[in-house]
Amino acid sequence: MRREQRRRIFAGLAVLALAGFAPPRARAAAMQGARPALETREVTDETGRRVTVPVVIRRIVSIAPNLTETIYALGAQDRLVGDTDYCDYPPEAKQKPHVGGALNPSLEAVVALKPDLVLATTAINRRATVEALERLGVAVYATDPRTVEGVLQSMRTLSALIGGGQQADALAAQLQTRLADLRARLAGDPPRRALFVVWVDPFISIGPRTFLADALRWAGAESVVRARGDWPQVSLEEVVRLDPEYLVFAEADRAAGESEFEELKVRPGWRALRAVKERHIAIVSDALDRPAPRMIDAIEELAKQLHPELFQPKAVAGRSKRETREEAMPPRIFRFSRFKFRYLRNSS
Amino acid sequence: MRPLTAKKIAWICGGLSLLLFAAVVLSLKLGAYPIATSDVVMTLVRRAIGHTEQIPTDFRLVIFELRLPRIALGILVGAALSVSGAGFQALLRNPLADPYVLGVSSGAALGAILSLVWAPHVPLAMQGAAFAGAALTITAVYFLGRRGGQLDSTTLLLAGIITASFLSAVIVFLMTTLSGRDLRGMAFWLMGDLASAPPIHLGFLFLVLVLAIGAIYSTAADLNLILTGEQEARHLGVNVGRVKIVVYVAASLLTGLAVSVSGAIGYVGLLVPHVMRMLFGTDHRIVIPTSALGGALAVVLADMLARTVIAPTELPVGAMTAVAGAPVFIYLLRRRLR
Repeated sequence: MRREQRRRIFAGLAVLALAGFAPPRARAAAMQGARPALETREVTDETGRRVTVPVVIRRIVSIAPNLTETIYALGAQDRLVGDTDYCDYPPEAKQKPHVGGALNPSLEAVVALKPDLVLATTAINRRATVEALERLGVAVYATDPRTVEGVLQSMRTLSALIGGGQQADALAAQLQTRLADLRARLAGDPPRRALFVVWVDPFISIGPRTFLADALRWAGAESVVRARGDWPQVSLEEVVRLDPEYLVFAEADRAAGESEFEELKVRPGWRALRAVKERHIAIVSDALDRPAPRMIDAIEELAKQLHPELFQPKAVAGRSKRETREEAMPPRIFRFSRFKFRYLRNSS
Repeated sequence: MRPLTAKKIAWICGGLSLLLFAAVVLSLKLGAYPIATSDVVMTLVRRAIGHTEQIPTDFRLVIFELRLPRIALGILVGAALSVSGAGFQALLRNPLADPYVLGVSSGAALGAILSLVWAPHVPLAMQGAAFAGAALTITAVYFLGRRGGQLDSTTLLLAGIITASFLSAVIVFLMTTLSGRDLRGMAFWLMGDLASAPPIHLGFLFLVLVLAIGAIYSTAADLNLILTGEQEARHLGVNVGRVKIVVYVAASLLTGLAVSVSGAIGYVGLLVPHVMRMLFGTDHRIVIPTSALGGALAVVLADMLARTVIAPTELPVGAMTAVAGAPVFIYLLRRRLR
């Protein structure tokens, strides 16, 4: 009897404490009702979440730079109504309204843009952000890029999701062809044993399960670091033992890569490395680590720097020397980097 | 010095409550989504009189779903950390004590990391694991900190510090060996994060908060006597052992509660009780209630600044409490010394 009473008192206290706080599901339902009734459908995103999205998507907010790039590549930039402070490519993306950083976007800034769909990625966003938006009744589709081919597949899925038309298939097919060409060209050559430089001090490289490690494989290189973590700090002894053939840098511009190399090569131990002595370094655009179409440019560029002999233009009769050299010029992205380098030097 | 009367306590707390209310209203108005003051008032009035259907969806979303829960969480965390800081400073008789000094935050952080590794998709796993980590640490430190069957301030402090550094070492080990993908949230968590409020009924958390603060407040008069010396207090009839256990358990519970919902927000628990002592005197009957209100005020204001200074980019609220708290503290300290 007494226990019963006590239980009742406790229950009463609990009810009092909870009064005024409606359960989240009821709130979400109320919110759905307040919006103009849109035709919706249910899809599963790449992290396995079930998401209800409008059939017609007019307003997209991207909270990751790679997804912003992908939206532009799909030609859907007119529907992109917001992105993050980090979205710097293409340059027009900087003009879009920002919702804050990719790791901690302002939820109310996202809500203020009234998006039909928010795009997120496990590559940079936090799960807490996705869950918080979900609780607010905002449709969030998350991508989970782990391999280069997965990114191409993801592009097609995204295009289908937002109703992007033929452009995505054409683009994906073209990128796929370029990857196949690259693989065919590299087929005879053993992969270069490469050490990828993420950070110089302390020295940090990549683990075998990262997106970067896969990008390196496509470029005809094998990351030499065997570590459990994704961003292992590697000791000097281990570097000496691994004796990599190449050091690989992915930087915003060539100058940054050069200066990192200069910093490394004067350190004791590093000086004696074969790759340092022979100046076997490859510096490519940081697009290499952005799971977006531009990464293919960076992969091709890296392959060219690691396997220069495979990219020697074959002497073709009837062509002038100048034309052949033109053909051997690195793609757009690399020229852009060099331009930037020159620009930086002039201005300083 | 004039005696502390119930009337005086009520006046001071009333004044602080008004300040807190003003901060809440201001906080409701400011943010990345611009809302006019009149709209905030209209929305609140409509909600109060039950005309919720007249509130525009966006206002309802931003005010009731985003800002209000965040402010409520700020009040909860600020009050919990400050009272717990005041409690630990009295218990350990050490002005440098803060809610994290006995390793509770390290234990909670370890729990949070393990939940990210083993159960990353389970809702509330992180908060639950953080609280479990805090509770285990509290228990371990309690048994390590006893001497002759009683809690001994010095032994407790040393046991807490050793446990904290041991757990921090384990955290560093885990963070370097584990795959980084799921640990990304940790950096934010370690600096304090009110943005992603957990889907817990805040009413329940407030119930725990009020009970724990009440428990510490009930020992306020005894704490005053203990500060003059444990022996003296014992001679005056204070059950020192019981007071210590009550303060230890309640303060640890408050810290665990705050840390598990918001991560480790620094400086509030250290600074606010000192500021309250400088302003209103060292009597615990005034220090504890004013710390609760002052802590709530400090975190609500810090979070408001964190959300707005470079909106829409948000700063970690922990960075804000440190940046804004330290100068205020130094100013008050110098003024008192003059």
